[in-house]
Amino acid sequence: MNSLIKLELNRALRNRKFLFFSVLYPSLLFLLIAGSADGTDKVDGTGLTLPTYMMVSMASFGALTAVLMGNSERIAKERESGWVRQLRLTTLPGRGYVLAKTASAAVVSLPSIIVVFVVAAAVKDVRLDAWQWLALTGAIWAGSLVFAALGVAIGYLASGDAVRPITMITYFGLSILGGLWMPTTTFPSWLQDIAKWVPTHAYAALGQAIEQSQAPHAKDIAVLAVFFALFTGGAAWLYRKDTLKA
Amino acid sequence: MTTTAVAFDQVSKAYGEVRAVDGLTLSLHPGQTVALLGPNGAGKSTTLDLLLGLKQADSGSVRLFGTSPREAIVAGRVGAMLQSGGLMDEVTVAEIVGLACDLHPKPYKASDVLARAGITQIADRKVNKLSGGQAQRVRFALATAGDSDLIVLDEPTTGMDVTTRQAFWATMREQADQGRTVLFATHYLEEADAVADRVLVLHRGRLLADGTAAEIKAKAGARRISFDLYETDIDETALRALPFLARLDVSGTTVRIQSSDADATVHALYGLGLYPRNLEVAGLGLEQAFVAITEAEEARTS
Repeated sequence: MNSLIKLELNRALRNRKFLFFSVLYPSLLFLLIAGSADGTDKVDGTGLTLPTYMMVSMASFGALTAVLMGNSERIAKERESGWVRQLRLTTLPGRGYVLAKTASAAVVSLPSIIVVFVVAAAVKDVRLDAWQWLALTGAIWAGSLVFAALGVAIGYLASGDAVRPITMITYFGLSILGGLWMPTTTFPSWLQDIAKWVPTHAYAALGQAIEQSQAPHAKDIAVLAVFFALFTGGAAWLYRKDTLKA
Repeated sequence: MTTTAVAFDQVSKAYGEVRAVDGLTLSLHPGQTVALLGPNGAGKSTTLDLLLGLKQADSGSVRLFGTSPREAIVAGRVGAMLQSGGLMDEVTVAEIVGLACDLHPKPYKASDVLARAGITQIADRKVNKLSGGQAQRVRFALATAGDSDLIVLDEPTTGMDVTTRQAFWATMREQADQGRTVLFATHYLEEADAVADRVLVLHRGRLLADGTAAEIKAKAGARRISFDLYETDIDETALRALPFLARLDVSGTTVRIQSSDADATVHALYGLGLYPRNLEVAGLGLEQAFVAITEAEEARTS
């Protein structure tokens, strides 16, 4: 399985377009949004400055891009082309394919998180304690697994031409509703009520809690846990269905 | 080492109303090169999928070397090449072959695998930039990445030119001579005729014929007899009563017969007091034998 992870990784690192969108694009977006804000603007109800707040949002967004965009489309494509069938004729265990995909996505998502942090610290003077940087990296990285599972589920759910629009709608829906592009506090109140239950909102809230030197809220963790169970359960079910159909 | 490479016992698989494989029983032995023939929809691909464990049978059992297909694959005893099986995009030929070697429990050296498949020159090429024939050779390399005891090939020479095709079969013969079992599905009957030492004819999911190419031809009526008669002499009932007749076809004044003993049939023909003109007796190719067998079955069941 390691050789497949290695090959998946090599392939991902060679793909400039994918690297740009998952590693550099979130940082550029961060500079665009936080660039004009001065370090004392506070985001309503958080006590965090705009650059600090947006740093977590964009790091989460970058990780989301890396794990969701790459996997769903590739899995759908490789299922259709028959590569998945060919792999089933090797010693690779059944779930090895999905694990390799997830592992390589996780390797790409790490730099996308760190690049946003470096840019935020260097350009917008975001300052946090050492434990906060580490905790942020860990929380955002680990949290991205929820969306990696979603990417796998979409890859096994959709096929052909449908997979890209479904991924895009999910991706933008999650990004916007979860408040990754703008704080949800700017939403009308009915939309805020919905946004509270969106997994990306809980995901970004993890990081914001750490920035506020708090433990992440139990509710956010619960929301992420429920979605993780839902996505992995769905992915596993769809995977089995696909295997039987072959 | 067990003597049976592949054992199907009363295997059935249906898709809704359609019985793709219907009570199939067969066994293949080491060192055999076996061709799986059948018209489209005969159940060839389903049979291979069941054999490789890609599909589960509704009933019956499929064993490879006395174990389940999956166990045999994990033990490295099976190498397979699927029909237009997808390849991993955006990696090089060397990388994908290297992966197959890494995943095989008894791998060959990747450079040897590339050389044997004749793809050393294109090792640095991206897999998605290959021609049909080149991609087919990469698939072949994946199927022969290690020391497998059974090699399964679904339509292996599709997209290959004649030279490549000949080189390909020479390699396969070598594999069989080393005691491996080679099973291939094809619709090129001349390939089956030239390469296989055993031919399985599948029709509507059932085994219609099983033997050497020569035996299959004999079963179909080994010889084809054709001649012309005067219009007044044509009496289908009398012709149909000829001995060893496998098939009769009268169009106008031309009569075509397939017979398992052409000498006796022709002798009886003269015995009827007929004067056949333009008499020709010819051997049947495997292709005609195949058509004859499947058509006879078609007529019997409809």
